Amino acid sequence: MDSVLRAENISKSFGPIEVLSGISLDLRPGEVHAVIGENGAGKSTLMRILSGHIPPTKGSLHLNGQPITFSGPVDAESHGIVLVHQEILLASDLTVAQNLFLGREIRRFGFVDDKAMREKTRAILTELGTHIDPDRQVSRLSIADRQLVQIARALLVPHKVVAFDEPTAVLTPIEAESLFEIIRKLRSQGVAVLYISHRLNEVKAVADRVTVLRDGRHITTQGIEGLEPLEMARLMVGRDMSKLYPEKPATASDQTLLTVRDMAVPGFVENVSFALRRGEILGFGGLIGAGRTELFEGIVGLRPSHGTIALDGKDVHFRDAREAMAAGIVYLSEDRKGKGLLLQQNLRINLSLAALDKFTKGSFIDGGAEEIALDRAIKDFDIRTRRRDLLAGQLSGGNQQKLLLAKMMLLEPRIVIIDEPTRGVDIGTKEQIYRFIASLAAEGRAVVVISSEMQELIGLCHRVVVMRNGRVAGEVAQADLSEDSIVYLATGVHEERAAEIAAGHA
Amino acid sequence: MKATVLKFAVAAGLMAGVATGAMAQQKSVTIGVSIPAATHGWTGGVVYHAQETAKQLEKGYPGLKVVVKTSPDGASQANALDDLTSQKVDALVVLPFNSDELTNPMREIKKRGTFVTIVDRGLKDPAIQDIYVAGNNPEFGRVAAKYFVDNLKQGNVVVLRGIPTVVDEERVTNFEKALEGSGIKVLDKQYANWNRDDAFKVMQDYLAKHPKIDAVWASDDDMALGVMEAIRQAKREDIKFVLGGAGMKDMVKKVMDGDKMVPANVSYPPSMISTALGVTAAHFYTNAPMRGTYTLNAELITKDNAKNFYFPNSPF
Amino acid sequence: MTETVLRTGAEKRRFNVDMRALSPFIALIVLVIAGALINPDFLTASNLLNVVTRSAFIAIIAVGATFVIAGGGLDLSVGSMAALTAGVMILTLNNMGTGDMGTLALGMLVAIGLSAACGLANGLIVTFGRIEPFIVTLGTMGIFRSLVIWLAAGGTITMRNFELRELYRPVYFGSVFGVPYPIIAFMVVAAVGALILYRTSFGRHVVALGSNEDVARYSGVPIWRVRTLTYIIQGVCVGIAVLVYVPRLGSATPTTGLLWELQAITAVVIGGTALKGGIGRIWGTVVGAVILELVANIMVLSNFVSEFLVGAVQGAIIIIAMLVQRSVHRGR
Repeated sequence: MDSVLRAENISKSFGPIEVLSGISLDLRPGEVHAVIGENGAGKSTLMRILSGHIPPTKGSLHLNGQPITFSGPVDAESHGIVLVHQEILLASDLTVAQNLFLGREIRRFGFVDDKAMREKTRAILTELGTHIDPDRQVSRLSIADRQLVQIARALLVPHKVVAFDEPTAVLTPIEAESLFEIIRKLRSQGVAVLYISHRLNEVKAVADRVTVLRDGRHITTQGIEGLEPLEMARLMVGRDMSKLYPEKPATASDQTLLTVRDMAVPGFVENVSFALRRGEILGFGGLIGAGRTELFEGIVGLRPSHGTIALDGKDVHFRDAREAMAAGIVYLSEDRKGKGLLLQQNLRINLSLAALDKFTKGSFIDGGAEEIALDRAIKDFDIRTRRRDLLAGQLSGGNQQKLLLAKMMLLEPRIVIIDEPTRGVDIGTKEQIYRFIASLAAEGRAVVVISSEMQELIGLCHRVVVMRNGRVAGEVAQADLSEDSIVYLATGVHEERAAEIAAGHA
Repeated sequence: MKATVLKFAVAAGLMAGVATGAMAQQKSVTIGVSIPAATHGWTGGVVYHAQETAKQLEKGYPGLKVVVKTSPDGASQANALDDLTSQKVDALVVLPFNSDELTNPMREIKKRGTFVTIVDRGLKDPAIQDIYVAGNNPEFGRVAAKYFVDNLKQGNVVVLRGIPTVVDEERVTNFEKALEGSGIKVLDKQYANWNRDDAFKVMQDYLAKHPKIDAVWASDDDMALGVMEAIRQAKREDIKFVLGGAGMKDMVKKVMDGDKMVPANVSYPPSMISTALGVTAAHFYTNAPMRGTYTLNAELITKDNAKNFYFPNSPF
Repeated sequence: MTETVLRTGAEKRRFNVDMRALSPFIALIVLVIAGALINPDFLTASNLLNVVTRSAFIAIIAVGATFVIAGGGLDLSVGSMAALTAGVMILTLNNMGTGDMGTLALGMLVAIGLSAACGLANGLIVTFGRIEPFIVTLGTMGIFRSLVIWLAAGGTITMRNFELRELYRPVYFGSVFGVPYPIIAFMVVAAVGALILYRTSFGRHVVALGSNEDVARYSGVPIWRVRTLTYIIQGVCVGIAVLVYVPRLGSATPTTGLLWELQAITAVVIGGTALKGGIGRIWGTVVGAVILELVANIMVLSNFVSEFLVGAVQGAIIIIAMLVQRSVHRGR
């Protein structure tokens, strides 16, 4: 079959680092082509090249057999190639219709024609099988509906190729299922669908062909027939999965360190109770927006909250992070750039910020001691930096995470709460961070890992508490840890219904 | 000066009482007053005199109400005028920030039958104003120049200007014109914004720049004080005297006491607002003709006549 | 004095000199050379000492502003605060009678106390009221200014006691080994300020707060206390500036300190402190204040600029000075 869009030998370098090398890929009309790979494998980069957001360093693109270069995403769109972004890129104060036509408003006598835009919006939303009100403000829509609006916006232009970048990351299985319906509909209309995900069950359910990327290289392209999720995972990681995660330390004890009862964070979390024991790694799973981050920010005094917190059996209440730190509890934010590090300041200032009291002699900061601490941190945490006077913002995501870990470890905490420890971190660094987390528990500290990566929770944690809609949905013990058990608790889909859905696309 | 005005006002009040008698019982007159806020010694004097005179006149003329509004700048003055006219005033006494800007608004007000008195800075169209009480700025410059010519005969003078305005321009231009043909040379002139601190700085710089200065025309008493402090610091003996202006009480006192550095001053009384108020009130309460232009003299204050210009209770 | 600043400016034990920190000094040197070319009288010791002495008030206030701005805040009320403090100080001196050192000390104490209290008020409203510092200090600017006008009844508040005036006068006009007291005062204030900003936990917290408030909060920095303290430091600096200001003319008027807030902020920015916070350069600030005063001085000393255009040329020089700075560290 002729391909509509073909990439030939595409490479992409950022500075000296090559993130894609020699990728070839062809998209045929009326097929769903999945691209899978781990974080950092180059999926998103490839997608952005195909949709004209960035130019390739080497290689060429062909549209309907003709070589073509896109000057930008608008150019690509005009050739019928549209991208549905992973993040929600909508103006939340505008209505659905206004968002759909943002930047391409229908005009009548020089004025925007709200009526026409409203009608068109209604039509396209109906086609997608939803009845969202075109006049509704986007900020009042659920996450899933916003995703639909984003898809509608992409489909508004005449399209031959539609690319979805991790579209189900924020969806429940039922919502995901209706998305798959939309994708199948597109396929039946002869559109080529590029589908990027690392959720292998979904890929199995929706894709016709699969391309696997690893470390920026093309591993294989195969038909979905006979390709099971387990084999896909092996292809993606390229090695034995168990090696990514360290041995779970045998230090998990019965000695309770922290007890949380009836915790509530107004607007986010209700009635949450759990216990944390010495030497264990406790996972917190759930969908984005389930209230995990807010729960722990509430516990360490970063958000207004109420409930009972007992540390070593004594009731405590923290009014701010400082008090929690003094009690030996540190929280590492998922928002490393916004809440973890001062991107405009150098490594030394970042490293010592939380534990500055340890570096003061009399009234003054001991700069020498800070330098020594930085030397140790660079060595102990393997922070890779060209120059030690770089700004924190100039480090890569993985090195930033290491710096954040080093910063918080200076406080010598007994309880370490790490929110999304490997978000935006390359695979090599992931492994280092996992080993480090395991060693924390091995030293007898208690560790909480909040993660949206099921595999991470399964590979790393002794137990996993799963949250749904601000409440604890249940707990999965080490022996029962599986992706299914977590997803079931996280989404609240009854087993029968889940089976139905599974049957629908098996 | 102020004493005179008050005497005049009180006299007018008495006259009103005698002349109109029972008529005054029903008579109700409101005069609105719009003046700059007290952000400078001189305008501070204006506010003080306006308020004092308002009280005096309300006591003297039964049924008279005087509403005083101060504004920090020209734009807020225009707003203040709107507020005043909406209160249905019979007369407006205005000391404008900028007479050009206010000409049109005042014309509108005049059309509605309000009696208009303008103080110090005349409107572009003199037909609008019923009464104009003017300080004499050109005369202010000429009197100062004449003092230099008479007392210095020849030598080098430095000048400190105020804020770039018509008032300042008239004073300085006429000062220079009056010096023409004399032996006195103006070495330098710079703006010091009628401000003590700025005058201090400018004078310090003059002293660094000019090795021989015979006298200083500070053109304002606030500035003169800054100038004198700079001279004292530099310990310069070549400067014979500093001539200020406007008749600040501290400076008049120095003239009275025979201070060598401050032998004279030029009057420019903030109490001209009292004159304007007195005449305006008299217009309503007496039958004597009041419309016209009143030009107050810029008088030279010397040791001999200083006591006539000394008002220890005034803030200025 | 330039050398002193340079030496202390490089106190951060770093061998690779930070061009960004150095650039205000380069701008200063360029200006001095320009001044010398325009008028030979410019380079006389007495002229230079006058200029630097005059810059003392703004320099001292701007040191305080460096803390507020580096911490991500802004204080527009400093000029009015200075006027109010000066007014109250003089009234205290006038009404506490005798012309001895005790009275003077009391007056000084009142000045520092009042300005610190004004700073505290600014700080508390900003932190606890959660209102933009621009609005808060714009409000207090009006309040302080009106209070002075009210205290002065629209006129002038002048030191009445002649003995006291003479006793106090040397604080502006006197000198040790030829260095006027105001210069010593602002060098001391700047040195202490630099010590606090660069060498104490509090100073580090200020920079963290200005860089990113969330990061500071998540790192356990007591942000409310730190922020309030920056405004108090600003207040104390205003108080110290007033102590040096009052003996010069012995009076406070409704125009005292007018637009000082803009001059202080300009000095801070010329000095290399980021207006959005996170970077604070005390010595740069001091140089910035001197540059501002120097530009005005050169204007008066020059013979070719009409007095009508002085403001325009001053503005242009400041912009050019900033451009020179930019190109200096872009060139590296």
